[in-house]
Amino acid sequence: MSDGPLIVQSDKTLLLEVDHPLARECRASIAPFAELERSPEHVHTYRVTPLALWNARAAGHDAEQVVDALVRFSRYPVPHALLVDIADTMDRYGRLTLANNPIHGLVLTSTDRAVLEEVVRSKKVAPMLGARIDGDSVVVHPSERGRLKQALLKIGWPAEDLAGYVDGQAHPIFLDQEDWTLRDYQQQAVDGFWAGGSGVVVLPCGAGKTLVGAAAMAEAKATTLILVTNTVSGRQWKRELIARTTLTEEEIGEYSGERKEIRPVTIATYQVITTRRKGEYRHLDLFDAQDWGLIVYDEVHLLPAPIFRLTADLQSRRRLGLTATLVREDGREDDVFSLIGPKRYDAPWKDIEAQGYIAPAECVEVRVALDDEERMTYAVAEPEERYRIAATAHSKLPVIRRVLERHPEEQKLVIGAYLDQLEELGAALDAPVIQGSTTNKERERLFDAFRSGEIKTLVVSKVANFSIDLPEAAVAVQVSGTFGSRQEEAQRLGRVLRPKADGRQAHFYTVVSRDTLDSEYAAHRQRFLAEQGYAYTIVDAADLAGPGEVNGPDWVDEPAD
Amino acid sequence: MSTEAPATLAAWLRTRSDEQLSALLAARPDVARPAPSDVVALASRLAVPVSVDRALDELDAATLQVLDVVLLAPTDGVAPDELIAALPEVADDVLVATIDTLTTRALLWGDDVLHAPDPVRRSVRHPAGLGRRALDLRLHLPADLPAVLGELAPDELAVLERLAGDRPVGHLPDVPGNGASSPARRLLQRGLLARIDALNVELPREIGVLLRGSSPYGPPRTRPEPAVTAREPKVVDRQAAGGALEVVGRIGELLTLLEEEPAGLLRSGGVGVRDQKRVAKALKVSEPDAAWLLELAFAGGLLDVGGPHRDEWLPTRAYDVWREQDLADRWAVLVAGWLDGVRLPSLVGVRDVAGKSANALSPDLVRHTAPAIRRSALAVLAELPAGSGLAPDDLTALLRWRTPRRADRLAPVPDMLAEAARLGVLVNGALSTGGRGLLTSGEDGAADGMRGLLPAPVDHVLAQPDLSLIAPGPLVAELSDTLSVVADVESSGGATVFRVSEASVRRALDVGWSASDLHDFFAKASRTPVPQALDYLVDDVARQHGRLRVGSIESYVRSDDHGLLSQVLSDRRTAAAELRRLAPGVLVSGLGADEVLTVLRDAGYAPAGENPGGAVLTRPPARARAAGRRTGAEPSPAGRRPSDDELAAVVREVRAGDAALAARRGEAVRQVPGVTTASTLELLSRALREGVPVWLGYVDAQGSGSQRVVQPVSLVGGFLQGYDEGRGENRTFAVHRITSVALVEPDDAQARPGTA
Repeated sequence: MSDGPLIVQSDKTLLLEVDHPLARECRASIAPFAELERSPEHVHTYRVTPLALWNARAAGHDAEQVVDALVRFSRYPVPHALLVDIADTMDRYGRLTLANNPIHGLVLTSTDRAVLEEVVRSKKVAPMLGARIDGDSVVVHPSERGRLKQALLKIGWPAEDLAGYVDGQAHPIFLDQEDWTLRDYQQQAVDGFWAGGSGVVVLPCGAGKTLVGAAAMAEAKATTLILVTNTVSGRQWKRELIARTTLTEEEIGEYSGERKEIRPVTIATYQVITTRRKGEYRHLDLFDAQDWGLIVYDEVHLLPAPIFRLTADLQSRRRLGLTATLVREDGREDDVFSLIGPKRYDAPWKDIEAQGYIAPAECVEVRVALDDEERMTYAVAEPEERYRIAATAHSKLPVIRRVLERHPEEQKLVIGAYLDQLEELGAALDAPVIQGSTTNKERERLFDAFRSGEIKTLVVSKVANFSIDLPEAAVAVQVSGTFGSRQEEAQRLGRVLRPKADGRQAHFYTVVSRDTLDSEYAAHRQRFLAEQGYAYTIVDAADLAGPGEVNGPDWVDEPAD
Repeated sequence: MSTEAPATLAAWLRTRSDEQLSALLAARPDVARPAPSDVVALASRLAVPVSVDRALDELDAATLQVLDVVLLAPTDGVAPDELIAALPEVADDVLVATIDTLTTRALLWGDDVLHAPDPVRRSVRHPAGLGRRALDLRLHLPADLPAVLGELAPDELAVLERLAGDRPVGHLPDVPGNGASSPARRLLQRGLLARIDALNVELPREIGVLLRGSSPYGPPRTRPEPAVTAREPKVVDRQAAGGALEVVGRIGELLTLLEEEPAGLLRSGGVGVRDQKRVAKALKVSEPDAAWLLELAFAGGLLDVGGPHRDEWLPTRAYDVWREQDLADRWAVLVAGWLDGVRLPSLVGVRDVAGKSANALSPDLVRHTAPAIRRSALAVLAELPAGSGLAPDDLTALLRWRTPRRADRLAPVPDMLAEAARLGVLVNGALSTGGRGLLTSGEDGAADGMRGLLPAPVDHVLAQPDLSLIAPGPLVAELSDTLSVVADVESSGGATVFRVSEASVRRALDVGWSASDLHDFFAKASRTPVPQALDYLVDDVARQHGRLRVGSIESYVRSDDHGLLSQVLSDRRTAAAELRRLAPGVLVSGLGADEVLTVLRDAGYAPAGENPGGAVLTRPPARARAAGRRTGAEPSPAGRRPSDDELAAVVREVRAGDAALAARRGEAVRQVPGVTTASTLELLSRALREGVPVWLGYVDAQGSGSQRVVQPVSLVGGFLQGYDEGRGENRTFAVHRITSVALVEPDDAQARPGTA
């Protein structure tokens, strides 16, 4: 019996014992075909899904390598049936290829006639196919390229797309690396993407996804359409592009609710594209407005369904997806795979943190006991009101203040979901509040002030869930949220993970009301953070040590305070 | 019994040595029990169609081909030399051995000339894949057959050639309109095919032989030599161990699940689709896999019908023993149950002809041939060296050659092989050491073969901050039991991932754990430091737990008169009732209501019993168990092979009976009226075939006996038709009224009994 670090489970999850001497080597071998699902302290969980296996195939790994890695590192004998199943699944990728034929145009070809017969007979696929050329190939209408790939994936025969890309209209873009350089992993991500043609790059929040986008543009040297989640994030992109590339302000257009500029590089929000009037999408022309050579999707995991439909028609353009997590709460990972492309690069949070590119974070859950009156209100409340009552309890206020006092010198964010509570906090803490209705101009003014250190504390609503960039926030305090959503948690944590100038530790506080729904949701949050490998401590509000006090979680960091 | 060749099977048997008779009985054990009284009785047993079929079923294709040569010979009886000459492609020594196989089993008899007994002729429907003779098909073939065949259209010839292959019988194509247009129908009209019923036609033997040309018995049917894949036996064993680990783990989970909530027994037997779905969902496997696991647990005797109303599928008592065994033994129980199980799990969900699909554990899945098929399939693999295996198709082809007459039974073989692979008996078509052990020495052999390959159980877990506990290997039963209370299983396999949740902690508190018990347990069971979050969780739940109190008492005493209750409580005579006050107006006792009533009555009070109405909580009954079947081998359908001593005893008995018979008159074949012996029929049909008259002893319907010489014409349906030479008339004789029969020597005009 060998003593490997890996245990293979029946449900195709892989458990990796991280303290094992072979753990690092093992992780490198299994990473191509297994998605890291959880990475708590001792044992990490990877999952082998068909999608992950096909991702591996797309990246040039074969079944033999996968089976060999499992057998070599496994502590216990691996059931033969499981290995056979993995090999079979991988074998399904690439039986079908989409390619350009000089005579017939786009053609679906198979090396296995039986597969093609099965596919041709499928009710979902048949309408997208044209005339049969011979036993092994069939014509595909070019406009169906994306939808066909989607449908083929659904029936378990993912097609390899070799039909290539149009170059688009050339536009000179260069990186301006005078005072900075692309980090190794960013360069690897760009290389991986460019070699594969289209696909998704997975990097944690704060790891510099924007730069990967910019570098990809410099590689393409063509007109580029960038799709972002909202206007603030769009402006952020613009600022970064101007600073890091040879692009000038005039070359970058903003296509949003406020402005409709189409320039060689155009940044559009998801929202404006999916705006409908009289049931019709009114801004679809944007995709045809230029001969785009590259389309960048920021935060691909938030990509709304209508954009998937539009993306299906853009299969001949190069597509780059950027995200911190491939996990979509709507479970549409397979659409990302078939329409944007397979995963081209992935780096675990902890690895990048270890390289010092994102700040280490400490997560603290502070438990607040409600006073009797609040408890009674909570006890008799309607079920749908309960969470709001628990999350917005007034007893939290002194605790929040105390938490903030622990970090007098830091830039602090207070994040919440309920506007009443935020207004109240803003007034009590004497801090400006940013919420959905705050104008973009006002937002930017406040962000600038925060960045420069004029303002130490900001109270923000859900807008903080999206790509705003606050480089110096070192402390985040969340007081309420949307029911412990993992995505929200990842985003909020991302706010404080950007590297600090002096490498200080980031602090991520969650203030919860004890014995209520609030603490139940906190349990989801806690599990998520623990699974990501963050240290998570629970403190009673009464035990919360002040700055400089012994056992105050920050006392090692800032002993002088 | 001189130098003359024996005339009947019985006579020939008499000439066989004791060893040869023993060999016959060993090869055809069904005739040995109960011991036949004499050689004639033995011969008649050997002629029983079922026995003949069984003997023929066990022969391989090459042996059957040799038999075909005898059956197809124009004369009754073929000399061994002729037989060898008839199959020039087959090596002579192989043929000699084959002939010996056939004579040992008395499927051919005779020494200088080999005869085929009539039941054998009847049992082989289409010898060498050829049809009956034209004469028997009532077909008059044209005189110049080759010329006629030469003139046929190509499509007609194609039909004939196809029928000249393995099967002489074919379906008439269903042609709408003018049926005459199809080649088969044209051939029918020409008289080259015979119609045997509305749909089927048969090709006469003569045409088949003609078309086959130089090899009338078809190509030589030698043993197929499939490609053998050889792998490192160690690798095979390791992968087998993977399968074994998986299946043992799954079965354990399944039974734990059914222990908590048994599956219902359907009225038609078996487990309902809903329960199957539930199992599949809980175990995170597909529904067919769930059915397979249910079947396997049943085959291993770990699951059976039980419960108070015998309407639930429950773990058996054997399960309690099983779960304490080490992994190799647990595995051995499962594979041994599978090997000898008479059910075909692969049929679950398969629709029968009526379109009804079979449920798991339904009685419809019983196939008594299943164990024999499994064993024969694995036996083929066991002949290969360790680590070597065959592809499923090759294995099936080999089995088909070994027992061609049972080829129709081989349909489940691919599924059986797949099951064996899942169990770790096979890996890539090669037997694992455990599988080999299973085949040769049963359960113990299987366990020995697998021992050392399966991980030793671990006695600790790794607690993680995300509240998961990881058992990095199979757990010792005790820890596994405890963990199943305090945590939920999230994934299983080589390791088990447990998750501690609010619900699971509450469950532990509910069954009597205290918060400090839980802290201690986690600290002791976990090899990693217990994460702070886990301690908080336990404390949080424990703080909420128990604010409502529920106790368990046997009985209560209540009264609106609080004074009376105080009096009862302070009364020394009621001390035996162990009463205590729970609330004003309510006393409770740990004793049963009847006992408390007795004590109170004895003390002079006048209490009345009260309907429980849900207020009384009784101790939960012990976990229900099904009685389970007695473990032990299923009786093999072929019957146990008699031991050498038994065989010798039977032979002795036959010889003694025979000696007694020989002391009587040397009549040929006698019989008690009403009992048709096979020998009678055999002699009659031989006479019919050779066209010789027979001497008959006959009793007519009035009871008067007579002796006649009859020229037989036909023997159909228990009646012999023939020309009575003495009386000069055609007569029909009921076979069961024939008391004795003998062949009349051709040169002998006088009717007299033939030599026996």
